[in-house]
Amino acid sequence: MQLIGAREEEWREGYVRLALTLESKHTNPHGVVHGGVLTTLMDEAIGGVIASVRGLEEMGIAPHSTVAMNVSFLGSARAGDEILIEARVLKVGRSIAFGEAEVRKRGSDAVIAKGGLTFSIRQRRG
Amino acid sequence: MTEGEGLMRRVPFVELVGAELEEMREGYGRLALIVEEKHTNPNGVMHGGVATALMDSAAAIALGALRGEAARQDSPHATVEMNASLIAAVRPGEKIVIEGRVLSLRRSVAFCESEVRRDSDGDLLAKGRFTFVLRSRSG
Repeated sequence: MQLIGAREEEWREGYVRLALTLESKHTNPHGVVHGGVLTTLMDEAIGGVIASVRGLEEMGIAPHSTVAMNVSFLGSARAGDEILIEARVLKVGRSIAFGEAEVRKRGSDAVIAKGGLTFSIRQRRG
Repeated sequence: MTEGEGLMRRVPFVELVGAELEEMREGYGRLALIVEEKHTNPNGVMHGGVATALMDSAAAIALGALRGEAARQDSPHATVEMNASLIAAVRPGEKIVIEGRVLSLRRSVAFCESEVRRDSDGDLLAKGRFTFVLRSRSG
């Protein structure tokens, strides 16, 4: 996330929002944001929002990790645009958690990408 | 006959499953089902295929209502990809509500999502994401 340069705007139980002002280094040859930037930030935001619900202590005992993601790319964004990544929890269970994230340009209602991610919660051995 | 009833008559598979259309408006469709033994798997809970089939239908209904009958006839939409999270089990006797919404409609592709909730407490039971292709009949 540091490599990409996103910053955390809000972090509370059940809700995380990241922000990133796109630069040319985030684009693909068409000049629009690379899909991998969006999936990385959605993964990061959802991992964070699940952490906000589980708490750091529980995470230390049983970390969660992404096991599946599914993303729809509905629109695009270009260098200079500021994007917001909002993540919410659908469900945190004992051994599995589901979250989803939406990406928009700041000030716009239009969703440019939407993702659903599944996390496995694994007890550390011993 | 309402527009919704007319639409339901053209979805034989939804009839087979036994779901009812509760609401249909631009970009939104809602089905309901009272889960019976015939909908279950060997674990005694609702088969995931019931959830995915009804989420697919709810999404397609929402999309059809947004596009309008003429556009739908001219270039029918068909599911080309789906992804579902099956979040909690459903037992016979429970009523479920399936809501479909359109996220984005473009010239040849549309993105939708659906949710299955338990009617009694509103708990989220499943969530699905659907991609539809709009295929022109001409050419």
